[in-house]
Amino acid sequence: MTFQPARLPDDTDSLPQLPGWVTSGGAETPGIVAFRSGAALLVLDQLLGDPGQGVPVRLLANRLALSAATATSRIEGRLARESDIRDAYHLTPPGEARGPDGDLLAFWRDAARLRSGGDAAIAALTGPQFADACAGWLRAAAETARTQGPLAGCSMAMAAVLEADPRAERVACLLSDVVLARAMGWKRVLPVTAQRLQGTRLRDLGAHDEPAALAVQAQLLETLGDTIRLARTLTARAEALRAKAPKLRAKGAEEAVALFLSEDAVAPGAMLSPRIRGTSVRMTDRAARRFCDRLVALGLARELTGRATFRLYGL
Amino acid sequence: MSRAKKPRGDATFDRELAELPPELRWREWMGRIEAVLFASAAPVSREDLARVVGQGASVELLIGDIQAELAARPYELAQVGGGWMLRTRTRFAEAIRAAADVGERALPFTETELGVLCAIAYHQPIDRAGLAEIFGKEISRDLLTRLRMRELIATGPRSPRPGAPHSFVTTETFLATFDLQSLRDLPELGLPLVAGGARDPGA
Repeated sequence: MTFQPARLPDDTDSLPQLPGWVTSGGAETPGIVAFRSGAALLVLDQLLGDPGQGVPVRLLANRLALSAATATSRIEGRLARESDIRDAYHLTPPGEARGPDGDLLAFWRDAARLRSGGDAAIAALTGPQFADACAGWLRAAAETARTQGPLAGCSMAMAAVLEADPRAERVACLLSDVVLARAMGWKRVLPVTAQRLQGTRLRDLGAHDEPAALAVQAQLLETLGDTIRLARTLTARAEALRAKAPKLRAKGAEEAVALFLSEDAVAPGAMLSPRIRGTSVRMTDRAARRFCDRLVALGLARELTGRATFRLYGL
Repeated sequence: MSRAKKPRGDATFDRELAELPPELRWREWMGRIEAVLFASAAPVSREDLARVVGQGASVELLIGDIQAELAARPYELAQVGGGWMLRTRTRFAEAIRAAADVGERALPFTETELGVLCAIAYHQPIDRAGLAEIFGKEISRDLLTRLRMRELIATGPRSPRPGAPHSFVTTETFLATFDLQSLRDLPELGLPLVAGGARDPGA
């Protein structure tokens, strides 16, 4: 494998960065967490809000959806690995059942596509059990977010869902993501909440345990730090790909590159051929595989599975 | 595979029943939901039920009223998986079994079938090769086909192995048959993760 020479640092240096003090200190009181989260949210907002930064937002959202699925699988006790979940989703032929792991990823990918203002779509995703209560919870949490900071609103929304149904962890995390997106004025939901959470914490949170609420908010703060780092890494890789894109002269290269800039895993056989997903550009099976291999050879993409067949590629 | 007979959106079917007084209308809607559930062997989803009652009517409230009426009956209206179904209460199982071979067709599994079903439930998605690893022998296609015919399992994602065999996953009917709300109700998986303590021996 050849790797791209180190030209990445100068790219990332111009991006907003999280100051070290935000996550280095303790998180003893709600005040401290709210204060530190302010800095983290500002940096994240700068990264996501300004198209000039070149952050591949769709790619970031899809990547976060995968880790959210892994995290909720852990919380729900199924313990599926990230690779299992990705395979279940990507290897299911159209019209067949995805199984619990693939369904979980589909849930989070749908979540990452939600418009933060769309009450009906949000209720549809949470399911009939919560459809009626959702709007009320979101309103109450938005008020808390306004007065005590977004993370307090997030943990409040989660507590409300978990009190109604202790097993609805994924819905709890989803509503928390919605609260965050609304508080920050983001158009789309970004699935950040679930990443680091633990089942036991969520149970305590549902029982309105004060220390648990603080601990959940502190974990959310750490997740924000992770998300900023992930956004910077993906931006650097996306920049490298964009820089080389004009040199990829395969037919349909432009559209294929666009797909790589929005999907965390690309299956050449299903997503690039016979037509590049989302476009009408044709690519043969062989051309798709060659294109992916070329990206790997240039150090622009990685093969994600380590398999010789059924490969998946991503930045 | 006949789903609950659901009136299509044709002009002759009157969902709203606007000419009836509110109370009668509510009773009629309750009757419709109960009839649909009675006619269906599988759980019926909320969307399907919403199609036989008025636009603004709450399916949950209607179902709550039906459940209240059925409180003294030997059958109940239960939420299973993503939908609702009518079923006999478990304490009458013996009586039903004693009376006839009613349940004979629907329930009994051979030991292998139950074992395979169990393995699929816990390890899904899993293909035949995966099952062979668990059982130490090939699982016959016939057996898997029988489980598929009963809609307890369905074909899921392809396995990343040569030949791209289908893997198998469990279905809503599986959940209904074993009275599970979700896969989390499977023994052990449904247990809280705290302090690897007492496990449910009855499972």
